[in-house]
Amino acid sequence: MTLHIGQSQRRENARRHLAGRGRFVSDLALPRMLHAVFVRSPMAKGRLVEIDTSEAEQSPGVVRILTAAELNARCKPWVGTLDHFAGMQSPPMSILAEEEVLWTGQPVAMIIAKSRAEAEDAADLVMVDIEDSEPVTDGAAALQDGAPLANSGARDNLCYEALLETPAVNEAFADAAHVVEASFTFGRHTAVTLEPRAVIADFDPSSGALTVHHGTQTPYQFQDVYARHFGLPEGKVRVIAPDVGGSFGMKLHVYNEEMGAVAASMILERPVRYVADRLESFLSDIHARDHIVKGRMALDAEGKILAMDVDDLAPVGAVSAYPRTSAAEGNQVIRLMGAPYNMPDYRGRLQVAFQNKVQTSQYRAVGHPIACAVTEALVERAAEVTGLDPFEIRARNLIADDAYPHVSATGYQFEKLSHQASLAKLREMMDPDALRADQARLREQGIYRGFGIASFVEITNPGAAFYGVGGARISAQDGAVVRMTPSGDIHCAISVTEQGQGTETIIAQVVADQLGVSPERVSVTTGDTATTPSGGATWACRGAGIGGETALRAGRKLRERILTLAGALLQADPATLRLEDGAVVDVATGEARITLEEIGRVATYRPDTLPDGVDHSLTVAHHFAPSGYPFDFTNGIQGSLVEVDVETGIVRILKHWVVEDCGRIINPLLVDEQIRGGVVQGLGPAFFEECQYDADGQLTNGSLADYLVPMACEMPDIEIAHIETPTEDTILGAKGVGEAGTAAAGAAAMNAVNDALRPFGARLTQTPMTPLRILDALDAARKQRTDP
Amino acid sequence: MKLEGEQLLSADPQTVWAALFDRDVLAEAIPGCESLEQLSETEFTAVVKLKIGPVSARFKGAVTLSDIVPGQSCTLSGKGSGGVAGFAKGAAQVTLAPEADGTRLCYDADIAVGGKLASLGNRLIGATAQKLTDAFFTNFSDALAQPEEAGPT
Amino acid sequence: MKVLLSTTVNGEQVQEAVLPRTSLADFLREDLGLTGTHLGCEMGACGACLVLMDGVPVHACLVLAVQAEGSTIETIEGLNETGAAADLQAHFHDRNALQCGFCTNGMLMSAQALLEANPVPTRDEIRDALSGNYCRCTGYEAIVDAIDTTARDRAARTEAAK
Repeated sequence: MTLHIGQSQRRENARRHLAGRGRFVSDLALPRMLHAVFVRSPMAKGRLVEIDTSEAEQSPGVVRILTAAELNARCKPWVGTLDHFAGMQSPPMSILAEEEVLWTGQPVAMIIAKSRAEAEDAADLVMVDIEDSEPVTDGAAALQDGAPLANSGARDNLCYEALLETPAVNEAFADAAHVVEASFTFGRHTAVTLEPRAVIADFDPSSGALTVHHGTQTPYQFQDVYARHFGLPEGKVRVIAPDVGGSFGMKLHVYNEEMGAVAASMILERPVRYVADRLESFLSDIHARDHIVKGRMALDAEGKILAMDVDDLAPVGAVSAYPRTSAAEGNQVIRLMGAPYNMPDYRGRLQVAFQNKVQTSQYRAVGHPIACAVTEALVERAAEVTGLDPFEIRARNLIADDAYPHVSATGYQFEKLSHQASLAKLREMMDPDALRADQARLREQGIYRGFGIASFVEITNPGAAFYGVGGARISAQDGAVVRMTPSGDIHCAISVTEQGQGTETIIAQVVADQLGVSPERVSVTTGDTATTPSGGATWACRGAGIGGETALRAGRKLRERILTLAGALLQADPATLRLEDGAVVDVATGEARITLEEIGRVATYRPDTLPDGVDHSLTVAHHFAPSGYPFDFTNGIQGSLVEVDVETGIVRILKHWVVEDCGRIINPLLVDEQIRGGVVQGLGPAFFEECQYDADGQLTNGSLADYLVPMACEMPDIEIAHIETPTEDTILGAKGVGEAGTAAAGAAAMNAVNDALRPFGARLTQTPMTPLRILDALDAARKQRTDP
Repeated sequence: MKLEGEQLLSADPQTVWAALFDRDVLAEAIPGCESLEQLSETEFTAVVKLKIGPVSARFKGAVTLSDIVPGQSCTLSGKGSGGVAGFAKGAAQVTLAPEADGTRLCYDADIAVGGKLASLGNRLIGATAQKLTDAFFTNFSDALAQPEEAGPT
Repeated sequence: MKVLLSTTVNGEQVQEAVLPRTSLADFLREDLGLTGTHLGCEMGACGACLVLMDGVPVHACLVLAVQAEGSTIETIEGLNETGAAADLQAHFHDRNALQCGFCTNGMLMSAQALLEANPVPTRDEIRDALSGNYCRCTGYEAIVDAIDTTARDRAARTEAAK
């Protein structure tokens, strides 16, 4: 029979969206629903003197104006630290600013009105008197002695610091034949999901139950957060995430506004809706990256990497995000450095600083693009000083495919990766000799093309090692309930969630194969804490690897149950039976003995006809937590071809290549589209995306007219190939793929731009690589040449 | 954001100086001024309605005159809050110098905006600030000219 | 003060009292329950709210409901029911040219309008035609492929009909 794992099954749930029948939180309207708008601090730092709501209260449609005294009292403050980040500090955060405002856009009052428009009208009438003070905006300045505090609740502006060091790192640099070094600046950018954050909190005082319709990727985490912070029994809290218009890590953090909607619903005893507009998204969604990294790499005379030494400074806003912290990205940056390579020694230092901007935290490919860009830019410089070709220097240094298991200098354990095979495959796809010939020919015509490559590893399938060990109540396992309906159809309720990546489709494929049915007969429910078992949902690439394994094991449990029942009905040994094409089949003859439909009928309507003691319950549950390696790493390599107009600084991205190894591929179509989307999310911040702030801590590009996202006309076609190295930690063998595209796209693009600019001696070390920055680099190189 | 400029006014320095401290003249000169209260010789409060790009707001603000060298120079500092629209604050060093047929007024201002104004209107602020400054001095110049026109010639 | 608006939406006569400041997008979504039209930026940059007004794609966030007086409006729900873009929808589905689905309405509107004006566009022309449609999920290539395939299929069918 045909196996469905490995097939490009189309997404059934995509049909609804194509028909205009998506159901997003922002589409939902509940009876007696009220609308919330927040009055926000226009200043980055200051003392809140007075909030005058008198005029606003008279505004038509206003039901209530809530200020800190009333709202904050409802909600236990949250603190964004984790125990395994030793020494980390972050002051507690409440829904509304009380005495001090900490970033531009921090909510200071909440207007509840009958419509969003009326709430906005009233918000215009609230006068907020803030005595402003000098904000802390620059990360390095924040850590200088005597710097003013970004947050008066903190000891100092150092949120967290860490040092990783092997004993021989200094000797490695001292003995090196070559040392290359550079400083890099990675701009702040943000998720810009097309559907903004949306929540409807609905507290019913008659039952004490809170239902939150929440555009989130992690409903179970929010069930726990709402229960604990609002003092409700967990069983009284239900979180429903229907269709979610993009999340990418941004929609799993605790935000003031969502907590405010819950508190307001409890106070007003009516449903309260908050949907961010685009400006509010820019001012309050977590931002990401914002790292300044100084890096060095030591090499021997043959171009073999001996060591790296990096120093990462990450300003993260005025508080650390909750519950995953704002230190996790920096932590991952220093741990992923040099990861694809044989690198015996290493030193990585991280400083996470407070500043008066909105918080940064986890966003797609957390830390990966930074570590990858620094490592790969240094490898590129190493290639220059050693006279090696970019492919050759990587071939000499990438971990050999037969040298696993391998432990990196930063302590990561790799089960089995395929860097060398990936490199060889990429070389075949890109044909670098032909590209070099084109490059030389075009340079003579004044056309400057360049290509660059970048190897990467991706962290997927995390167990408790990420957050659980740090005390965070973030599920390290997932759960599934699989049942057969009376008609012999299959239903799977599972804790991993769907934001369009195709989770429900791959779960249906996996379950279908365990039960010998077509995926069309398997319906999947996700995203509702009342109807699915508890689990981690969507974060850090776990849907296929952990969710898929959960579904597989649950499906097999149900298979055993069905076969036992069939054995009783057929008076046959269950070991002689299997499931195929919707029926129980005799293994020896291949003959269909009884259909699933008939088993369902008997088990449901005529259990009295079954022999005594036969379990006719056709519902099973299974929970799965990864064991073995703490993470299942994946690997790959990307290539980028660009053309730089040296007169205007404008870059055309001509082509992008990816070779990726995510282990067992459940659905090739969906895997490739995850990679393509990820690549574009990596190219965006490499060339366009940046949250720009002025010296006063004001965000100066808070709209889609000023904040540039990648659009269709600027993006290239992306060619993808795969190596398949399944993990042996699970039966399924699947790993994650969600971060892969984003991890290395920017690094490959930076190497490509610098390859194009090589004849001028110009070099980019800052993202986004805007036309202005490219022209500046060309100018600087010109000055260097004429005035050395 | 820095703004510099100068304006030739057809009145002598003493008249210009007096007008700078004259509530009625200022109320007429400030673009969009809805009300202006004089609290003391050097302190005013104002309500001003402005539109910058997609953001329009009524600003409630305070204006203070300091560093006063009578007849020659002073610093005008102001801070206005436009509620959720944001705020604007700034200081302008104003110097007066006699010219053959009037007074040369030079200004050197540093202006900052915040909130929605900064996030949405940033590209427009430079041009708008220049436009508002020009409007102020045109109005100021007109207000100075009026009493003379009305007076006996 | 509300004013009376008469318009045709998805082939049905609609008479509703609306506030003059109500955008067409809010009117469609909130008054008529046509939530297939999405709001992503409310300034005409993202394309999630595109609808056809007298056959031309417009940003429903930038048009006031009262401007639709006497017009014919078609939303994704209407386009779906007429079946006029059924092949385009099928190719989007087959090529997985959508993930979260929030931009899909606008993508279909832009694609349908492009193929009316330029039945066999090049890939660059397709990418240009989507320059006002933001998608965070797909990276665009699958969308370009789906439109490309639809165009070539339609052209082949037209050719066969001759």
